[in-house]
Amino acid sequence: MPAVWLLRLIFLAWFTLLFAMLFTTSSLSYANTAFAATPETGSITSTETITETSSVAKVNSVLISNNSPIQTKWSTGETLGKNPSVYFHAWGGDPQINSYIQWLAKRVKQEYNIDLQHVKLTDTSEAVSRVLAEKSANNHQQGQVDLVWINGENFASMAKYQLLAQGWVAQLPNFWLTNPKENEAMTRDFGLPTQGMEAPWGQASLTFYYTPSINVNKPKSTYQDSIRHAPKNISQLLTWAEQNPGRFTYPKPPDFLSLSFLKYALITLNQHQPAPVKSGLYQAVTKQSQATLLPILWTFLDKLHPYLWHQGRYFVASGTALQRLVGDGEINLGFTFSAAQVPAAVERYNLPQNTRSFVMQDGSLSNIHFIAIPYNAANSDAAKVVANFMLSVEAQAKKQQAKIWGDSTVLDVSQLSQQEQLLFSIEQQHPSALPVSSKITALSEPHPSWSILLTREWLKRYGAQ
Amino acid sequence: MSHKLTSNSLNNRPLKDETKLLDTLFSTVVKFSPKLLIAILILPVLGGLLGVLLPAFGWLPALDRTQFGLQGFQQLVQTPGIAQMIGLSFFSSIVSGLLAFVITLLLLANYFDSPWLARIQRLLGPILVIPHAAAAIAIAFLITPSGMIARLLSPWLTGWQSPTDWLLPHDPYGISIILGLTLKELPFLLLMTLGAIAQPELNIKLQAQYRVALSLGYYPITAFFKAVLPNIYPLMRLPMLAILAYASASVEMPLILGPNTPPTLAVAIMNWFHDVDLSLRIKASSGAILQLFITLSVLFTWWLLEKLTQAISSKSLSNGQRTYGDLFWSKIINIFTLLLIGFIALALIGMVFWSFAGYWQFPLALPEQWVIMHWQSALLQVQTPILNSLSIGLVATSIALILTLLTLEFEKQNGAQLSRFSSVIIYLPLMIPSIAFLFGLVWLQEAVHSKATFINVALAHLLFVLPYVFLSLATSYRLLDSRYAQVAASLGASPIKIFLQLSLPQLLMPIMMASALGLAISFSQYLPTLLVGGGRLNTVTTEAVSLANGASRRTSAVYALIQMLLPAIAFSLIWLISMRKKRQKAQVKLNNKTASYITKVNR
Repeated sequence: MPAVWLLRLIFLAWFTLLFAMLFTTSSLSYANTAFAATPETGSITSTETITETSSVAKVNSVLISNNSPIQTKWSTGETLGKNPSVYFHAWGGDPQINSYIQWLAKRVKQEYNIDLQHVKLTDTSEAVSRVLAEKSANNHQQGQVDLVWINGENFASMAKYQLLAQGWVAQLPNFWLTNPKENEAMTRDFGLPTQGMEAPWGQASLTFYYTPSINVNKPKSTYQDSIRHAPKNISQLLTWAEQNPGRFTYPKPPDFLSLSFLKYALITLNQHQPAPVKSGLYQAVTKQSQATLLPILWTFLDKLHPYLWHQGRYFVASGTALQRLVGDGEINLGFTFSAAQVPAAVERYNLPQNTRSFVMQDGSLSNIHFIAIPYNAANSDAAKVVANFMLSVEAQAKKQQAKIWGDSTVLDVSQLSQQEQLLFSIEQQHPSALPVSSKITALSEPHPSWSILLTREWLKRYGAQ
Repeated sequence: MSHKLTSNSLNNRPLKDETKLLDTLFSTVVKFSPKLLIAILILPVLGGLLGVLLPAFGWLPALDRTQFGLQGFQQLVQTPGIAQMIGLSFFSSIVSGLLAFVITLLLLANYFDSPWLARIQRLLGPILVIPHAAAAIAIAFLITPSGMIARLLSPWLTGWQSPTDWLLPHDPYGISIILGLTLKELPFLLLMTLGAIAQPELNIKLQAQYRVALSLGYYPITAFFKAVLPNIYPLMRLPMLAILAYASASVEMPLILGPNTPPTLAVAIMNWFHDVDLSLRIKASSGAILQLFITLSVLFTWWLLEKLTQAISSKSLSNGQRTYGDLFWSKIINIFTLLLIGFIALALIGMVFWSFAGYWQFPLALPEQWVIMHWQSALLQVQTPILNSLSIGLVATSIALILTLLTLEFEKQNGAQLSRFSSVIIYLPLMIPSIAFLFGLVWLQEAVHSKATFINVALAHLLFVLPYVFLSLATSYRLLDSRYAQVAASLGASPIKIFLQLSLPQLLMPIMMASALGLAISFSQYLPTLLVGGGRLNTVTTEAVSLANGASRRTSAVYALIQMLLPAIAFSLIWLISMRKKRQKAQVKLNNKTASYITKVNR
């Protein structure tokens, strides 16, 4: 008889669980609809904030203090509905960044009672295709993506198909801390005007890291000594690869780090060209600019590939996989867009202790990354509050700390008060981190159409062997 | 003993109106359930296919494409390396299927009558429940230039001070994929076959034939191939086809182990669906249709191979030859089995090492430091994914279990097995590549504005859980001795009483096994969770796959191990319960003995 009872018990438990889940999920979806059904209140708040921000721009310093009238207005519960959730779709491949986003979630919960959910993407294009799928299904109000971390081609693509909400960025009080009037880069994404569709979040430049194969550098060796054998510009990279076959590789397009490397090579290889020719890189691709600028890149890659890891027959999928190869000792040279990742990886044993960071002397590709709200986001008002918090002095200073993320701030620090500027000062340096004294020659991002072209042509040439 | 009690108690109670109502309700539910089961399987799959078919022919309103045409297919044909993609998908699945099949046969043949078969079964069993992604990660750890094998051989044998740039993994010929798929499919095929053989009637027949063959002087391996195999191949065919279909369209294995210049077709399709260039979705949809044809042609090729083998070998079955170098082959198989088990053990050990490793420079076979920080930081973040995995698994498995039991009850009451059509439908989600219909399914869910992510994901899991639960329960249910039910009915028990109080208790263990299997299948689902959940529901498996290509071998080792432990917990629970049941039975027997002893003494 105990068997019978056991069985009954199990069935009962399962049924209860089943119904409990059915019930909770259906009630959740009702709650969502209820929240969305009050668009009037939402739109009223937005107009109010627009009028207020214009005055805000003039009195920057008032805004920064946390108890300014606008900030309290933003945090009021009635306008946002009860306990709103914001689904933040962001690349989730870096534990450091993920825990920073967890910190953001904790803070916006405290301040505004918003549930910030990090939807971890392996590639931002997943969010793009989701919004597209929603648009194709005529879901114009209840989109699942509330906020997305984006730049470059993904932004160009979403803007082209009108998948982003427009003109909301100027409503954010904290956006004006970036000093967009002086700092034009804050409103341009890979050369494209952002038109208020995305707010800047951080900036980064291409940093290389190097681990000597055999432990040649004694524990006491200086920084310059340890990177003496590393290549310092694009032509040295080729000779270095020839001397160390199989010890370097780069990810496969359309990965964004891969394209960054290709764009770095494209720009530096064409540096000897006259200025009018070079300027073609910052405009939409034409047949002519393609014919003058591209061939030198393909000759370079044709020479480089036989000396790459796996003889250039297999390319890793992403920058993180590249870092793993360096960590395993399979290659000696890698690169990243988040320089702070390198010391953090050493701390977590994922890179050898003798890893050193450096920037190429012939220039370092630099760009800004943004956050955007899709046109059909279900919780766009709450998303704006979150975006505003992400641009606050507190969040930006935290993000810049090397131990947290090490992503450079987009705020114009010189405009901040003395006390706030202190928050952005640099702490003790890790031996594997990029030295503060490094001279970075910033190279601007080419027009997004180059990325699409590079991907297509690369895949045609090297994608199928 | 307990059954006797049950029938007695059934007899004593009078019939009430309430129970009558319950009876009619039960019979309606039972009558309805096979149809519901078929609908649950067929609607999403066909709907999903439709959702891919329309864009494949150029109909995608979101991109303002509303004219039908063959553009997608034209783009597909022009894709550089498309022939290689198709070839890679086709051959890696055929070769891995063939290898898994041959190795299964050799293992069965060599150990058919020995206790080693059960031991190998127990050793390989856990691999069955390891999700594909985790298995791929483990194998990658083993065969990379800086992996365990190279570390064990360096530098004393190879002289390598730093990892050498060799072919594996990611080789352009798909060797790594074949290795991974073979190792993963082998236990499945072996256990399915052993499960089929274990049916009492068949088992007695097979054993008898085998013994007759032995007594006629056939050597053991030859005896197996000539006397046993022809009887069991029909039972192996369906699992075999499921393996082939899966292998031809799988995403996780080629993603982690395969080449990418170009990748396999399934991986390429997934990349196109996710590409920044949204117009690629049309090409991706056409690719999904192409994938469907490739899978079908793989299955067709297998059928051809089967016929060919039959034609060639039918004569040799009765040619009377007693041995084909049996002793030599037996030695080879012994060595091979040892290597196989060593390979698997090394992969697992390597993974455990990585999960606790501090710095670990190349030629060293052991980590320089041992740390627990990878486990600590993972355990902090893994709680929600584990809860999600468990709750989705429980919901999907419970629905699958209830539907299966009711459908089988329907069969029993009507005294007929499901129609051929229905039995084919049950295997539909296993035969149709998931990549071909899941994207369409997502589109359909969008179209009906379905917001309940959890239910959507659970239902998508149900598609894959249901066939396995049905497979594992059907045999036991159909073999249930119907005389118990007849006796109960003749004593006046209602069908629902017979079902709840007779059939289910007798089937306790098979039900437990089926639910553990269902849970394991649900835990391992990657594409359905990712696509249908839209990334909102993170399970351990989605986390593990996204970390597999991440920066840290150590973290991905931790996640892969957690992924293995989850189903292992489910199975060990079952094992505990079965042990308890055994003990109880023993207790009952003991009590009986004591009772009879006491009565004897009293007399």
